[in-house]
Amino acid sequence: MTELAIDIRGISKRYAEHVAVRDLNLAVPRGAVYGLLGPNGAGKTTTIRMILNIIGPDTGTIHLLGRPNTDGAILDRLGYLPEERGLYKKMTVRDVLRFLAELKGVDRRTADKRIDEWLERLSLKSAEKDWGKAKVEELSRGMQQKAQFIGTLLHDPDLVILDEPFSGLDPINAQALKDTVVELKRRGKTVIFSTHLMDNAERLCDSVCIIARGEKVLDGSVASVKAENAGRTVALSLDGSATPEVMAVLNDRSLVERVDDQSRFFEVELVAGADSQTLLRRVLETGARIQRFERVQPSLHQIFLQRVGATGVEEGMTGHG
Amino acid sequence: MGKLLAVIRREYLERVRNKWFVIVTVFGPVFFAVVMILPAYLSVRGMRDAKVADVRVVDATGTGLGARVARRIAEPRRGAITPAVADTSTAAAPAASAAPAAPATPPRVVRVDTVSAAGLAAAESTLVLDVVANRLSGYLILDSATVGSGRARYAGRNASSVGENEQLENAVRDALLGLRLETAGVTASAADSITRLRVNLDAERITDSGKGGSGLGGAIFGFVIAFTLYIAIILYGQQILRGVLEEKTTRVAEVILASVKPDILLAGKVIGVGAVGLTQFGIWIASAIFFWSERTRLIGAIAGPTASAAGAMPTGFAFPTIEPFTIVALLLFFLLGYVFYAALFAAVGAMVGTQEEASQAVQPVMMLLIFSIIFVQPVMTNPTGRLAEVMSMIPFSAPIIMPMRMTATPVPVLTVMASLAGVALAALAAIWFAARIYRVGLLMYGKRPTLRELLRWVRQS
Repeated sequence: MTELAIDIRGISKRYAEHVAVRDLNLAVPRGAVYGLLGPNGAGKTTTIRMILNIIGPDTGTIHLLGRPNTDGAILDRLGYLPEERGLYKKMTVRDVLRFLAELKGVDRRTADKRIDEWLERLSLKSAEKDWGKAKVEELSRGMQQKAQFIGTLLHDPDLVILDEPFSGLDPINAQALKDTVVELKRRGKTVIFSTHLMDNAERLCDSVCIIARGEKVLDGSVASVKAENAGRTVALSLDGSATPEVMAVLNDRSLVERVDDQSRFFEVELVAGADSQTLLRRVLETGARIQRFERVQPSLHQIFLQRVGATGVEEGMTGHG
Repeated sequence: MGKLLAVIRREYLERVRNKWFVIVTVFGPVFFAVVMILPAYLSVRGMRDAKVADVRVVDATGTGLGARVARRIAEPRRGAITPAVADTSTAAAPAASAAPAAPATPPRVVRVDTVSAAGLAAAESTLVLDVVANRLSGYLILDSATVGSGRARYAGRNASSVGENEQLENAVRDALLGLRLETAGVTASAADSITRLRVNLDAERITDSGKGGSGLGGAIFGFVIAFTLYIAIILYGQQILRGVLEEKTTRVAEVILASVKPDILLAGKVIGVGAVGLTQFGIWIASAIFFWSERTRLIGAIAGPTASAAGAMPTGFAFPTIEPFTIVALLLFFLLGYVFYAALFAAVGAMVGTQEEASQAVQPVMMLLIFSIIFVQPVMTNPTGRLAEVMSMIPFSAPIIMPMRMTATPVPVLTVMASLAGVALAALAAIWFAARIYRVGLLMYGKRPTLRELLRWVRQS
């Protein structure tokens, strides 16, 4: 049994007008919370649809939980929350959920039991009101999203794929979703989520993959991604004003690429290959008293902007986010 | 297999539980009866009533022909229309036979203006004013040409009404015939009885196995079958289209497709909706049979014994004898025809994004259906003709035309089988084509595909 929940080798998908995904490799370990990050139109949804075998890749292979994803039975172990939410509006919530569970091979009795548990857990069912008996169209948007989220998890999938799960969620429901993700991870499930909201990804994910224009830009654990992209920015605060000697060090273009001078606080970007320890030693040698010297970890957001840039968003693309 | 069942169950239960299904199933027969009987009833009433009786007869012949014509016009209508209506109603909706017989039309007096040939122009100009002022609906002019060559002239507001013109024609012909007979020495009463002669042809059908049945019954039965198939295909085809479109617009399709293959979803939908159709028609047919077989007692219970006796009279209509082979063939035509069109409707649903687009894109499919149904009338009039033979072999019209043809006239078993095989092949092709469109289209949002893009979808998947 392989340790990989998802093993993607060299998949590509070309549409008539453009290439949605180009030679993508992806390895997601079991039990991980994995972020698939990228701007709109980067190929995230196409990749997810290929993982779910909704569409087939032009080239490459996809293995899920050690089996090829063309194996029909493997789909029953997957849970999928698409970016575009939608349920049958005229059906009652309970009927829709039961139907979704049946499509995953869950028998009706088990499904009914789990539906009750989930409805109570996500406060769609209480002593005075059971939204499970209401038609989907009678629910508020937030409640519909919760119902759909339940539908994703009813069959207790081993691999859960959430496409932009936070879009349109109010803070309370977003928190409920995060709690659930954490709990899934605790139970050893693998959770993939695609998002363009880096804050959520940074807090929830163990590993990430950033894709843009259908290609992988970088991937790895959040810590290593940050480490690889860290080390060039230093926050420096001095006790008292900067002396000319300090300024001379900071203006040494062999060491410092750029400095953001705020009198007593400096954000220093080192030149490539420069060691922050050198900077620290030379500032100390000027006799200046240092209040704070910190190698700043860039946020995923900054890394994303830095690596993908404004050009990462392809124009005029729709439908294949 | 379990998943297919789940899809079928959902499609079936969601529709059958719907209150509109219940309403349509219960009131459908009433509605159909009204739709079938009302136009016929109104047109008959229209013929009997006002219009023709408002006609003035202008007699410039000097032979008394005008008075004869007026008498004919004023008489209650006889002929084919009245019993035919009764037949249709009893065949289509047994419940309607409870309606009491139409009351006899009271005799009318049609005024005759006897004028000289010279005074004709003056009389006519006065009458024109009467018609303009709506005191008359028209006037009929009889002159020497009428007596000589049977040519009469009618002018009026309703000059283009075929039924009324025919009635006037008949009146003039009968009157003229009577006049000539009397001129030839036949007594007035003999002439009258001769001109009143009407022929009723009781056509009886003989099939290969020698079983009989009324020809009219067979034709009406075939007609009802053809229209039933047509209506069923449109009703349930549209339901398929709407269902696919709903899954697409609500984006629920994406969730479903992550669990089942699109082909399973498509198959489940077609089977599920088909089962709804069979349920509905099953209920209708069962209730029709029940009402028909119990009609005497039912009418008696509602309207008393006299009406009961009248209602029990099947007014010359008898159910045609139907052989088991025909029943099986009818069912197969229904199922295969339904599958053929259902697949096409599903493809349309998958290729569009909104209801508006759907109503446009569905037109080619509707054209196939309409093209079939416009030939129902000619085929019914001549079920052994060339047109009937061709239309009952073309796969897209065969499901509607062949059942009608084979109930109206015996068709060789081999021909029926060939037609069925054609429809079956067409249905397979439609499924193949639709599944491909469906697979790609279900996840395609945005603008409607062009024909070229559609072909690429078909090739692609």
